[in-house]
Amino acid sequence: MTSKIASLFASAALTLIASGAAQAENVLNVASGGSQNMVDYVTDYLGPLFEEQNPGWSVKVVGTGPGNSGSQAILEKLKAQSGNDAWDTDVIVTTQLKTGEMVTEGLLQNFVADIDTGALATRDTSKSALGVDVTGFVMPMFHSQTAIAYNPDLVATPPASFDELKTWTADHKGAFGYNGIKNGMSGVAFTAAWMYAYSGQTEQLMNGPYDAELKNSWDAALDDLKAFNKNITFTPGNAGTLDMLNRGEIVMGPVWVDMFYTWQADGRLNPGLKLTLPEPGMPGQPYYYAIPAKAEHADAARKFIALATSPDVQAEGIVKRFNWYPGIDAQHVEGSMAKADWDKLFTDVTPADLAAKGQPFPLAPFFDDIREAYEMKVSN
Amino acid sequence: MYACKKDPHMLSRRASLYLVAPAILLLGLLFLYPLSFSLLWSFRDEETGGWGLQNFIKAFSLYSNDILFTLIIVTLSTTVIGLLSVAIGGYLTLGENRVALALLRWLYRWPLFIPFVVAAQLMRTFLAKNGMMNNIFVSTGLLEPLQAASFLDWRGIVITFVWKQTPFVALLVAGAMASLDRSTIEAARNLGAGRLRILVGIVVPQVGTTLVVGLILSYVVMMSVLSVPLMLNAQTPTMMTVDMAWRINAYSDYGVANALGFVSYAMTAVIAWFYLRQGVREGGKPA
Amino acid sequence: MNLLRTCLTGALLALLAFAIFGPITNMLVWSVAETWYYPAKLPQSYGFSFWERVFRPQGNAMESLVNSVVIAVLTVIASLAVAIPAGLALGRGSLPWRSLFLLIFLLPQAFPSIAVHMNIARIFYGFGLNGTFLGVVLVHTIQGLVFSVWIATAAFSAVDRELEEAAANMGASPFTVFRSVTLPLALPGLMASAIFVFLISLDEFTGTFFVGVPDITTMPLLLFTASMEGNYQIASITALILLVPSVGFMLFIERFLKSDVLAKVGS
Repeated sequence: MTSKIASLFASAALTLIASGAAQAENVLNVASGGSQNMVDYVTDYLGPLFEEQNPGWSVKVVGTGPGNSGSQAILEKLKAQSGNDAWDTDVIVTTQLKTGEMVTEGLLQNFVADIDTGALATRDTSKSALGVDVTGFVMPMFHSQTAIAYNPDLVATPPASFDELKTWTADHKGAFGYNGIKNGMSGVAFTAAWMYAYSGQTEQLMNGPYDAELKNSWDAALDDLKAFNKNITFTPGNAGTLDMLNRGEIVMGPVWVDMFYTWQADGRLNPGLKLTLPEPGMPGQPYYYAIPAKAEHADAARKFIALATSPDVQAEGIVKRFNWYPGIDAQHVEGSMAKADWDKLFTDVTPADLAAKGQPFPLAPFFDDIREAYEMKVSN
Repeated sequence: MYACKKDPHMLSRRASLYLVAPAILLLGLLFLYPLSFSLLWSFRDEETGGWGLQNFIKAFSLYSNDILFTLIIVTLSTTVIGLLSVAIGGYLTLGENRVALALLRWLYRWPLFIPFVVAAQLMRTFLAKNGMMNNIFVSTGLLEPLQAASFLDWRGIVITFVWKQTPFVALLVAGAMASLDRSTIEAARNLGAGRLRILVGIVVPQVGTTLVVGLILSYVVMMSVLSVPLMLNAQTPTMMTVDMAWRINAYSDYGVANALGFVSYAMTAVIAWFYLRQGVREGGKPA
Repeated sequence: MNLLRTCLTGALLALLAFAIFGPITNMLVWSVAETWYYPAKLPQSYGFSFWERVFRPQGNAMESLVNSVVIAVLTVIASLAVAIPAGLALGRGSLPWRSLFLLIFLLPQAFPSIAVHMNIARIFYGFGLNGTFLGVVLVHTIQGLVFSVWIATAAFSAVDRELEEAAANMGASPFTVFRSVTLPLALPGLMASAIFVFLISLDEFTGTFFVGVPDITTMPLLLFTASMEGNYQIASITALILLVPSVGFMLFIERFLKSDVLAKVGS
């Protein structure tokens, strides 16, 4: 018995050592927040591409989970190492809110001017993360949008506005599902959209100025949401909503457009489902590429991000394979793609829809207030 | 009769203390130390650096429903576990059908070593609205398709807890019942008492301590489980453990998380005191 | 009357069997399912492609499996290293306040451990132990400490003193007595304790959730992530892999430990 255990231990140790030896070449460490599709993006596409172009390098990616908590984990990881000379992560992929916090705390380095694709991203999102100035610290990986997915067989006319959604859910209890504010940003997006629709201060929430007293005026909207929650089913997260839609446990719910199309392409989601954007709109967000301030392999990190934000990779990887809207400006990417592939992104949600109803998330301090108000007044 | 003053194979006091030291050290560093920090930090306001009850106030304003929910769920689960274990143990002790006895003995222990996280995954697909349980009920005609309901809420949590912990308590109880003196049972039998009456009146009181210890242990364990409510209950309210993990992962808010931890300690404190008192009694007996 | 009673017993047993094996069967079906859409009651197609995905070398799943096993083995070693001396002292030594010591080892079972784990993670951050193998092994060792110490104590105190005395009388030194008499006799109990600790470590979720994430993934964490992402095939395969040692141990232990002995082991 003892010898068996000893030999098991030995072989396990040998495997570890062997795999460690195989990685004695250079390793680029990537930490990515977000759902599994974002980790798969690096494991299945971007990583091998980088390794091909840079022999002697291997890419190791670690997924920290969806929502702001996944990116919070990365923030803490970097903070914990702030005393060290070289940090163990070279590239991070994080949400706007947390990236803004990282910039404020001095955890990231300014790199955009040093890469040749730096000039290709000029949207507001590349300069400001929910009100925090992040110019030069980030390159958007993609832009994403939330929308309401529904089953056209069971929902003849989807609600065109939040008011219609309220009446619809009152008539069809439990048929709408979202994940609250935990385990995924699709539910957070829905909550933010609700506040945009009913708080009466949509402009101020999105663009400021921040007013700490504003949250006291939200009681009506929050009570409304609490009542709304009684008519819906909660889902376990981004993937949970899609999964329950697929299994017929709900017939409508907020989803990320990219996850929706990817799951359909993968055969994990009923191909008959469709998307709609109700008035007054729903938020979307970019995820940012950034380089930690004392990253050990900062040069390789720059190369990696330059590769990831090059028009070809954005066209092939981001748009075509993974169904995101490009991180760099659209005109650079559209030209490199077949029209059919480009249009696929806009099947249900047209560019006009996006322009009119695609919104940013609220300003960072408002965002925190909304999340806390939700926990205090809606879920308690 | 040996009257050696220095028993060569009995360890000296000093040696004994040295031998037990590493374990105590480990326990102190990795359990008592964080535990005391947990209790302490629940009173500390992280942002201002002061001390006070702010964390508790915030915890209650955000999670009072969840605290109540946790108490109800765990108590309910413990009760059901107790009833089921006594039923299983009782049948094993008083049952007469040999085939049934053998089957039961083989059957009830299966979930014993299955970890909570695996049990949660099993239940996640089994109890869903279109999960296997409902599908079987619909196929056998016990349920209309439209009536099929998802059990992935508080009922799923209770079911999983009961599923996983009953074998453990049943094992303890059955063991205790098996080592009872049969004469009292036989005497009652001879007087014509029914088996249920014997179970309730004679057997259970004698194994009461073991039952209570098993239930207390289950209670404490269930208060601490994170995987089950996280994987099974997307609804609000949910268990406190989910909120604790949420506070830490999303906000790094150790203050409120520790305040919630303090509340969970308080909930188990009374229970734990009984358990420790029992442990002293049993530990003091010559092994 | 007898027939009715037998039928009732049979029905109850069948219900119990369904309750226990239903979920397990469901998991087995999911582990070989390729596509399974609503409203189908059974998968549309079966296959092992997800097994291939789990076991491919460059995948994260293989890494989690190796991590889990390595951590479990290291935990057993650490546990035994601490529990054997402690068990010896508590079972055969002359400790003052023996019951107090035993009581102290019960403490981790008396408190919900999640709060302790959260704070261990924070303390470990300060020492750079978070997300390291050593950190995770330490957390797992504490989880198993109750079982390892109590079982070791029981194992050592069950050793027949007369045999030891006999050996001593034949002139053996205390250490030789320990090595040739005490330890071999206590070995079955120690083995049981080792396996217990191995299983506890393999299945440990909450501690690893706080201390190991995001660098160290173990099987339970992999299961959790796959399940939350809706990837039930991978979750079920992982569940199956975790189930095998647990069920194996249960069958093994039935041969060696009777229920009343287990009942006495500290509970």
